[in-house]
Amino acid sequence: MQESALAMLARAGICLTDGVNSRRLALMDETGQYRFIFVKPADVPVYVEHGIADCGIVGRDVLLESEADLLLPLDLGISRCRIVVAAANADAMTNVQGMIRVATKYAQIARAHFGARGIPVEIIQLSGSVELAPVLGLADMIVDLVETGVTLSENGLTVVEEIAESTGRLVVNRASYQLKSDEVARFVSVLEAVVKLDRIT
Amino acid sequence: MTSRIPAGMRYYIGAEARLRRTVEDVAMSVFQAWDYEEVITPSVDYYDLFEQGMGQREAQRGFRFTDNDGRLLALRPDVTSSVARMAATLLSERSRPLRFCYAAPVFRQQTQSHAEWRRENTQLGCELIGTGGKPADLEVLRLAAEILSRLNLQSRYRITINNVEVFNGVAAHLNLEERAREQLRRLIDTRETAELQRFLQSYDNPEARAFSQPTQLTGKRNVIQAARDTITNARSLAALDSLEELWTDIESLGLKNSFEIDLGDVSSLDYYTGLSLKIFVHGAGSSVGRGGRYDGLTGSFGRAEPAVGFVLNLDALTEVLGRNIAQEK
Repeated sequence: MQESALAMLARAGICLTDGVNSRRLALMDETGQYRFIFVKPADVPVYVEHGIADCGIVGRDVLLESEADLLLPLDLGISRCRIVVAAANADAMTNVQGMIRVATKYAQIARAHFGARGIPVEIIQLSGSVELAPVLGLADMIVDLVETGVTLSENGLTVVEEIAESTGRLVVNRASYQLKSDEVARFVSVLEAVVKLDRIT
Repeated sequence: MTSRIPAGMRYYIGAEARLRRTVEDVAMSVFQAWDYEEVITPSVDYYDLFEQGMGQREAQRGFRFTDNDGRLLALRPDVTSSVARMAATLLSERSRPLRFCYAAPVFRQQTQSHAEWRRENTQLGCELIGTGGKPADLEVLRLAAEILSRLNLQSRYRITINNVEVFNGVAAHLNLEERAREQLRRLIDTRETAELQRFLQSYDNPEARAFSQPTQLTGKRNVIQAARDTITNARSLAALDSLEELWTDIESLGLKNSFEIDLGDVSSLDYYTGLSLKIFVHGAGSSVGRGGRYDGLTGSFGRAEPAVGFVLNLDALTEVLGRNIAQEK
């Protein structure tokens, strides 16, 4: 995400001075108009919701999971992937025996997805290598982010349901949107121009 | 006994407590100078009162417990509901308009955003009941502006205003059923441009375009003119007219730079019936106050009359001012 987001910003004319390779976590852009903060994806909504950062770029998967109260003015269309339910058997969803064990990094999304359909689930929260869980018998299914599906098939899993599509989003703090309305509007519109160009080409 | 403190609760000590007291005194002295009478409402009341006053979605965020007879009680999650009931019942014979102000803690078990971690907040608020129209709306806006400037926040605050009837008129004109209306409201509220445009495509109606650029709903007088280009229904147009009249007065009071029109502020439609406002201050990540017109509320207690008011969050203001003072040192 970081790489494609920076490439997009560069095309919008917002460039970082000394490469991102340096280990500093806060950098100014060349014009000195923007300060960049580099944090883990799950922390992006936190910084923006508290107004420490005015804007952020983060995947929709992270936003759905965090349920943060933010403005989402722009779909950047980068880092496109899907949030899916996967299992060893393709007919797993039609063959539910009373209760499902679901392993996932996305506990909120999984709970909301199965809850809306009245399917009782036990959520098993993991922090990585989720595909392993059904293989070793920890869970019946997983809810995870899928880009190509290679990792899934290598572990003998198939997609049984798609929950949502996820792309990189521009998020804006509600107070910054009003208090720095001109600056935010300018930033949104330069990025929007790049997004539109991408859609055509 | 435990040494823990429940989430969302805190102490104020020394300088911070004094600052908080000063902020409260400033606000109450402005209210009183405008002839607002202080009112102290019960801290505990029937849950029904708040559900009627705030709508179910907001009221259920409160702390609830049962009375001796089994009826559901709540620790007040707002003050307005109680003041509205008082005006319609206890004070139904008193001559209008009624002007009330208060400084009172309210309690919410679940906060709306992660940034609002407090579950106890003191509201500095006022209600103007029994008079409607532009003069009343303008009065509470001027009050809010005066308090903020007396707190030395002149160039550091912004008040956004909207009239909820702009959205309601369009939703009615598009014949939206409840779920679609809520979806449209949510997409505008979070300014999800791409999803919003997809949603509106299915409505073959030029008025659907009114909200199709949700990032362009905020600004000065120009946003009203832009809205008139797409909106044709009488209900929304009347709301735009009253918003523009209000804006003209804001301009002539020299407050233009502190105010903004935001037709995309559709966060509390169940509650407000006309003007709605939100208050932002540099240094606070979410709004520090809100308010608006609620002409439907007192009617549910037996005496329908116009009413308007707003609240400021004392705890959020104290935090911002405290940080400003620390930075100046």
